[in-house]
Amino acid sequence: MRSLKQRLVPFWLLGPGLLWLFFFFAVPMYFMGELALYSGSLRTGGFEFTWAFENFPNALSGHEEQILRSFFYAGTATVLALLIGYPLAYAIAFRAGRFKVLLLFAVIAPFFTTYLIRTIAWKTILSDDSPIVSVLQTLSLTPGDGRVLATSGAVIAGLTYNFLPFMILPLYANLERLDLRLVEAAKDLYSSSRTAFLKVTLPLTMPGIVAGVLLTFIPAFGDYINAELLGGTGQSMIGNVIQSLYLNQRNYPEAAALSFLMMALILGVVLLYIRFAGTEAFMGDEDDEGPK
Amino acid sequence: MTTDRLRPEKAWRNVVAAVAVLALALGLVACGGGGGGGGGGGGDSSDATTAKAGPVKGELTISNWPGYIDPGEDGAEGTVAEFEKETGVGVKYIEDVNDNEEFFGKLQPQLDQGESGGRSVFVVTDWMAKDMYDLGYLQEINPDDLPTVFENMSSSLRDPSFDPGRKFSIPWQSGMTGIWVDKSKAPGIKSINDLFDPKYKGKVTMLTEMRDTVALVMKAEGVDPAEATNEDWLAAIDKIDAAADSGQIRRFTGNEYNEDLNAGNVVASIGWSGDASIISNENAEWRMPTEGCVLWSDNMVIPVGAPNTPAALGWMEFVYEPKVAVKLAEYITYVSPVEGIQELASPELAKNQLVFPSEEFQKNCSTQVSPPDVEEVEKAWQSVLTG
Repeated sequence: MRSLKQRLVPFWLLGPGLLWLFFFFAVPMYFMGELALYSGSLRTGGFEFTWAFENFPNALSGHEEQILRSFFYAGTATVLALLIGYPLAYAIAFRAGRFKVLLLFAVIAPFFTTYLIRTIAWKTILSDDSPIVSVLQTLSLTPGDGRVLATSGAVIAGLTYNFLPFMILPLYANLERLDLRLVEAAKDLYSSSRTAFLKVTLPLTMPGIVAGVLLTFIPAFGDYINAELLGGTGQSMIGNVIQSLYLNQRNYPEAAALSFLMMALILGVVLLYIRFAGTEAFMGDEDDEGPK
Repeated sequence: MTTDRLRPEKAWRNVVAAVAVLALALGLVACGGGGGGGGGGGGDSSDATTAKAGPVKGELTISNWPGYIDPGEDGAEGTVAEFEKETGVGVKYIEDVNDNEEFFGKLQPQLDQGESGGRSVFVVTDWMAKDMYDLGYLQEINPDDLPTVFENMSSSLRDPSFDPGRKFSIPWQSGMTGIWVDKSKAPGIKSINDLFDPKYKGKVTMLTEMRDTVALVMKAEGVDPAEATNEDWLAAIDKIDAAADSGQIRRFTGNEYNEDLNAGNVVASIGWSGDASIISNENAEWRMPTEGCVLWSDNMVIPVGAPNTPAALGWMEFVYEPKVAVKLAEYITYVSPVEGIQELASPELAKNQLVFPSEEFQKNCSTQVSPPDVEEVEKAWQSVLTG
């Protein structure tokens, strides 16, 4: 029988996290949920709480295109980030030698500048008259009008760039712990490098991949800065719609309702994904990872 | 691991218990808090307070549009610095108005609580000032507190339809909405219809301000905005929507349209007449569209909860002194609301049609108006902007 004090330990440890969740997640969620059920408008005497559930279908109608586009942009950016991030994380974990710390630092270094400034910098780099765009034009790599900025490609590239570290870091953390003896064992048993990677390395790094994909996809889906700064007409994401509903149309109830629906949608997608990718992979069941 | 480790099921029970406690606390907060987010709506403008006058001192926060004041160059002091020197007031001058709707959207929840985010003056366009006043977010101004302003204000600005007698808005500058053209790349652009020429596909931007962009497109279609019906507005919006879908229009922008012009990304932008100070592209020039322009004024207003109304009134008095107004006009090249400064201006400035427009120059221009059913048209417009 443990003492009361001992039994209280988990509460103390959970405390800060739960308080954080409470004040910065639960409370705002509550107010937003309440707001989503208001009706009225600013011009006609303000908003009133009326259990206005019709806000939910109203918020969705006419925005299907932006939702699909957000899925497409965020999905493409996530796949690109994985394709770029995995080899990079692998190289840093196993091949970097004494440059490991330096390379990791290089991954994190962009965070020393704010996200907004970095995105604005891309605007300058990709402007129509920039040398980079001229080279791309010469190689006929630019879409239609010979520009990069204000195209879907620019938005996806911006999302990929901005969220890449969120992909690399969990992958690196996971790869770093990989027991290379397992790969050696596979090779001793006459598997090719490719088979060893597919049958040993990849399954063991699934937790990192799942974590990286979630950390990249979720913020990319809700992002509106990249579409705003790097995109043009016809490249708005659902985040831009919510921003417009909040700030420009001041239709707070529908904006709140749409935010809720997007959260539910993302939650649904994530749950499906975790189910598909396996909870064990997500939770990273350490005991199965190899001999201790 | 063999040491005493929490059994998983035990830990889970504890988590559940903790969540339950928090849920209960949340319920209590919710009951106590009530009301909350965004509710309420504005007060009534009939009981608007009048901005208090008094000794001009302390700190003053002003919100304005980018490139809308002389920063002081080559050793000379800017208008803000001169005001500080003359009155001893410490001014915090922020350029955070980029688009009327967006600025109001950011501030509205605070204004609704009777707060202005520390600002004592901000500058918004006519219709927005009226909207804010109707919602009870602005303080009224007593003309007796502003002798210089009411002595020097241009007669044409004294009785606008949205604020007869200037009860709550004092003009900051007036201007014209037309086309900024990069004359090295598109010398041929002279009318709004030219912006729809496929030759310039993806090289044109338009303003997010509905009352500017849509009104100009209506004029190009031969519709007088003052007489326009909702259908006229929606038809013009459809035309813009089609151009946006086809990629003709590159972006919709607020005051940051200067960035694409400066970077050489566009050949023409719908833009404001006095923005030369923030447009560094030497080939760019403002052109009066052949269909005419949209005329508007931006106004200084005093919001509810303004911490320092005496200094706000002092600032208004200061910028209406002719010598200050001339200096401002030299730099920002908008139309000054102060009468009779043309004689004080340098000969070059006095000839500038953007600063001292002749009647002939503005003969086809229309005063900025709102659509008959703002809500419906605004919704259609926003769906174009986020298309």
